[in-house]
Amino acid sequence: MTFLTPTLAALAAAVAVPTLLILYFLKLRRREVEISSTLLWKKAIQDLQANAPFQRLRRNLLLLLQLLVLGACLFALAQPQVRGTAQSGERHVILIDRSASMSAADGDKQGASRLDAAKRQALDLIDSIPEPNLLGRGGGEAMVIAFDTAAEVRQGFTSSRADLRRAIESVAPTDGRSALGEAFTLAKAYAGKRQIVEDKGLILSGPTATIHLFSDGRLDDAATVTPEVEDQVVYHPLGTSGAANVGITSVRAERSFDDPSRLSIFVGLQSTAPLARSVDVQLALDGQVAAVKSVALSAATPAERQPGGAGSAAPAAIAATAAETESEPIPASSGAVFTLTRAQAAVVSVRLRHPSDAAPDVLAADDEGYLVVPPAKRLSVALVTEGNFVLSYALEGLNLASLRVMTPAEYQRLIDVPASPELAAFDLTIFDRWLPTRKATGNAGGDPKPGLPPGRCLVFGVVPPPPRGLTDKGGADAALVLDWARDHPALRGISLDALTLYRARRVEVEPRTPVRVLALSSVGPAIVEVAELGYRAIVAPFDLMESTWPLDPSFVLFLASSVRYLGHDSGLTAGAEGQSLGQVRTGSTLAELLPSGARDVRLALPGASGQVIGLSPSADDRVAYGPVTSRGIHTLTWEGPKGPTDVEVDGRPRRAIAANLCDASESNLGVRSRLELASRVVQARVNAGGPGVQRLWPWLLLFATLVAMLEWYIYNRRVYL
Amino acid sequence: MLRTASPSRPKSIEDLLDARLVARLSQLDVTSRKILTGKLKGERRSKKRGQSVEFADHRPYVVGDDLRRIDWNIFGRLDRLFLKLYLEEEDLSLQIVIDASGSHDCGEPGKFVFMQRLAMALGYIGLVNLHRVTVTVIGGASGAVTSAVRDLRGRVRTRDLARFICSVEPGGAAAFTEGCKRVALSRRGKGVMVVLSDFLIKEGYEDGLRLLLGHGYDVFAIQVLSPQELEPDLGGDLRLKDVEDADLAEVTIAAPLLRKYKQTLAAYTGRMREFCARREISLMSVRSDTPVDVMVLDYLRKRGLLA
Repeated sequence: MTFLTPTLAALAAAVAVPTLLILYFLKLRRREVEISSTLLWKKAIQDLQANAPFQRLRRNLLLLLQLLVLGACLFALAQPQVRGTAQSGERHVILIDRSASMSAADGDKQGASRLDAAKRQALDLIDSIPEPNLLGRGGGEAMVIAFDTAAEVRQGFTSSRADLRRAIESVAPTDGRSALGEAFTLAKAYAGKRQIVEDKGLILSGPTATIHLFSDGRLDDAATVTPEVEDQVVYHPLGTSGAANVGITSVRAERSFDDPSRLSIFVGLQSTAPLARSVDVQLALDGQVAAVKSVALSAATPAERQPGGAGSAAPAAIAATAAETESEPIPASSGAVFTLTRAQAAVVSVRLRHPSDAAPDVLAADDEGYLVVPPAKRLSVALVTEGNFVLSYALEGLNLASLRVMTPAEYQRLIDVPASPELAAFDLTIFDRWLPTRKATGNAGGDPKPGLPPGRCLVFGVVPPPPRGLTDKGGADAALVLDWARDHPALRGISLDALTLYRARRVEVEPRTPVRVLALSSVGPAIVEVAELGYRAIVAPFDLMESTWPLDPSFVLFLASSVRYLGHDSGLTAGAEGQSLGQVRTGSTLAELLPSGARDVRLALPGASGQVIGLSPSADDRVAYGPVTSRGIHTLTWEGPKGPTDVEVDGRPRRAIAANLCDASESNLGVRSRLELASRVVQARVNAGGPGVQRLWPWLLLFATLVAMLEWYIYNRRVYL
Repeated sequence: MLRTASPSRPKSIEDLLDARLVARLSQLDVTSRKILTGKLKGERRSKKRGQSVEFADHRPYVVGDDLRRIDWNIFGRLDRLFLKLYLEEEDLSLQIVIDASGSHDCGEPGKFVFMQRLAMALGYIGLVNLHRVTVTVIGGASGAVTSAVRDLRGRVRTRDLARFICSVEPGGAAAFTEGCKRVALSRRGKGVMVVLSDFLIKEGYEDGLRLLLGHGYDVFAIQVLSPQELEPDLGGDLRLKDVEDADLAEVTIAAPLLRKYKQTLAAYTGRMREFCARREISLMSVRSDTPVDVMVLDYLRKRGLLA
């Protein structure tokens, strides 16, 4: 048992107890009344006292009771409390995962969501933190951070329970993915007060805080999170393992190369249900149901078990190691393909319909997918080269609307004209060993530097300069391609095994830049994709002619896939770091380049609320909103000119952007019983809140009241002279 | 129980007795269980042989007897001198003793006013029946131990009696025993003695009453208590102050104490009744709110003081 304000209680006792005794010895001031005779009264009193054998004791009993009441009040003033579950540390950082998987309705047996259960446990934790004393000192502090891919401080360190409760209760679920990194960085920043001391480095200068993580553990970047040695991390797992969930993990649209009006919609599905089941996939175009397909999903593969058992003679150490290696069921995957003829643009929505006799699906957030499909068109491509017959022939063989071969000088002339309509007509520009020079953005007086123009580009034999995240390290010797992104639309179905680079180009990709390595050679990245706001380029920095690629069928396939991928730019590819134009993933930032002169920009969010947000375009006509928290179609409207793919409704250009969860990790609802961080493994703590701190002062005050009532009763039953 | 807030003192006989009661009182007489001798001849048959017309007995003549009372017929037959004895009709001494200590100036209606009216009614009955009426006041505001008006006789002294009774102011601490002693010493003859008091006397009422018993007086003790003394309406933390001796009692009055008080009062009255019964003193306890006519015409007749 601890006391929050022992000094205050001692001071009060030093004043109150002597006062009570003095008041007791100074008799009660009584009203004087003249009566005929005190004879009978005195006799009555004497008789009464004579009849009370413990009269003197009773007199003392009153004092005793009064002292008891006073003692209970003073004891309550000292704010005693008994700790149930000891909470290490007086400062707590509460991290609440609000990602899509936390919306799964398996938080408890009543069907509450994991987030609700997390909030409830967090509130219990708040209740268990010692309160500050009457003087406002002491007590525990806590802060609340909600996170999905981004982290948000909902409440800074405070000892106010009301504020903490309000902050916890205000955490709302999003359709975002989970990422612990930012949240943990934020938590670490608050958790311990560190300062730099000469010769010692960064050392802890104050009490460290305990970081409580309320999550289901589906944190893909957990292994990159590095807690300090002194950071205490408590992981509170939520949800139940083996929750049955069928979700859409990818949705993609593709137009046929030969006949662009033929539209194929690919829907990737994943099931974590322990039993095989079927699900209806409903496809709707512009809100009208176009097709329904039933897809059979096999049962998720149970977690692998270590061989052994009763007959196994495996040593205990091996068994222990096996127990430490967490394995979880492997979800079953399947997919559906819808093929239809649709030359116009369409907003495609895909929904899963679960049969009524199947086990209920616990997560609704991944049962929907959206796509904005641009109208069918054949592409116009510009090839900027001093002369490359391989590229020219290959491109002529593609089914393009137009192909214009330009020399670098011609292109440079075009690009020097601001807002050239000729350039805008090209869907894709292919640069062969040359890049146009452009003035640096925001630096009108700067020297022109080679760089990528806005739009979509395919670049061969040259490396775009920084700040693209790519650094040219010069030429290199021959190299072989070792690995490539087989799931990337530009490389799908292509084998680069036979590709040999006689003169490779050594490039370096900086981390945390919008550059994705598509193919890796023995000297470094061989093919990369650069995706930024309004820009997208696939760069093969090596010289085509100094490689075996032009002679390999994979080159033509790559060229065709890249032209289609970059030209249409309509696929949302699972695993792609960047975002396609017209698509955005929940949790990331929606950013669009609007036509010059756009004003009064409004973004209508999906959902029944129909919330509309006003956005202000930046100087370069970009608008940004984020992080995107809900899936569905976000609609941008503005006043002013419309872009080539925009439609006009009621006199205002409109552009739809689809936001999807489409995350296999989020859809896999298995709960991890431990969290493998970079520097340690955190085991789950079950029932962390526990009984918490038991405050005794209300009971003491109740006791004091009861004793006071008893004292009053005895006082009225007795008479003293 | 509490001191009467603004006592209305009787000023004249009209304040003490109303005309209707006077008419009814005239038909009453004071009775005694004893046949008592008086100094003057009254309207009351006496044990003494006297000069009435009713023959009582004969006795032998002795020298010095009145020769007029010799029964000459007996002398003619027996040749011996006998005197004829007649029953004597004589008056009765009515002693009314009023305790005028401060404690009687309490209660609502006041105890002392009730005692004044009762004393006046009894005194008037005594005067009308040619008794010798003596009213003695023990204590009082004057500070004297006793003050008295003595030997009033006949209806004509009614106003004297009333004047005396009206002049008495209660107050001070009574020396009841001393007062009784003086009454006992000053009384003459025999008769009926009525003692009006609340008998809440700290020094004790026993010695006083015992002194009054001598000389064959037929003693009636009338204890007058106010309704507030019988049913106290006090409560809370009080310092009770005795109006006579300023004695203090600090009490916290609640139900148990009130119950105990009533038990004590009942026991006190019971002891007094026992004391009186042993000494042939007739004791009556009355409330000060009892109407005087009911008291006189009903209660006292039933108890044999009046007939």
